[in-house]
Amino acid sequence: MLKKLMNIMFLSCCEATLLMEKRCAEDISPKENFRLSLHIRMCKWCRIYQEKLEILDGILKIKFFQDGKVNINQSDIQLLKDKVIKNLNI
Amino acid sequence: MKNTTLKNWVEQYSGTLLRRAAYLLSDKTEAEDVVQEVFVAAFSSYDSFDGKSKPLTWLMAILNRKVADFYRKKYKTEPSIKLDHFFDESGFWKNNDVLNAWNVSNAEAELLDNTDFIKIITDCIEDLPVRWKIPMKMYYLEEKKAPEVSQELNISRTNLWKILQRSRMQLRECLEFNWFIKL
Repeated sequence: MLKKLMNIMFLSCCEATLLMEKRCAEDISPKENFRLSLHIRMCKWCRIYQEKLEILDGILKIKFFQDGKVNINQSDIQLLKDKVIKNLNI
Repeated sequence: MKNTTLKNWVEQYSGTLLRRAAYLLSDKTEAEDVVQEVFVAAFSSYDSFDGKSKPLTWLMAILNRKVADFYRKKYKTEPSIKLDHFFDESGFWKNNDVLNAWNVSNAEAELLDNTDFIKIITDCIEDLPVRWKIPMKMYYLEEKKAPEVSQELNISRTNLWKILQRSRMQLRECLEFNWFIKL
């Protein structure tokens, strides 16, 4: 009940998590930052989500993931090279 | 001279460029098309390459622009992003699973050493819709600033935040159920 009240008075969790993205990217206004900090202090859900967001942000910054799932093999690369060279006529 | 240099670049960098394009676009054929466009553009604007940056850096910058072109052409309208899977009408969390503890002390190092985790997070990322995945990947790839990404992709800043918010919500949930709950 208190949570709901708090949501209405200050910031909903939905809005707070959007502001977290802005804060994470250092693109948040002082007013937004203040409201977010207040919300996080009072809301356990968002406090835990914020921690997880930071973990995810740290992980995503690591270049290691930049492979994806599309499988590229040597013959794909060779075919592409041939095509490009033919296309450009070089 | 120009032809020889270009030929060398094609020989040396096609693989790296193709992998990057395939990562961003999640599609091999589209990626091949984009890399071809990159070399066409490099060929025609060869004179503007001043040699101050490395050729691969220059080609990667062209690649990013081409991926952004592709995205803008494919998604002409602003996205509509719904969060009702996660929040109720008052904007409060629908589920309590967000409260589960992630028992990681030195999160990044610990998790990134684990090949099972790597596989799961890669799957979770790849399960995101392409429309969200491209902005998210571009945002993280070069550690770009949001204004740049939103401008390049022609989406409003607010919508970029929403895309990141929605994607991260989904990633969090995906990891929760496929990794942390099972620990």
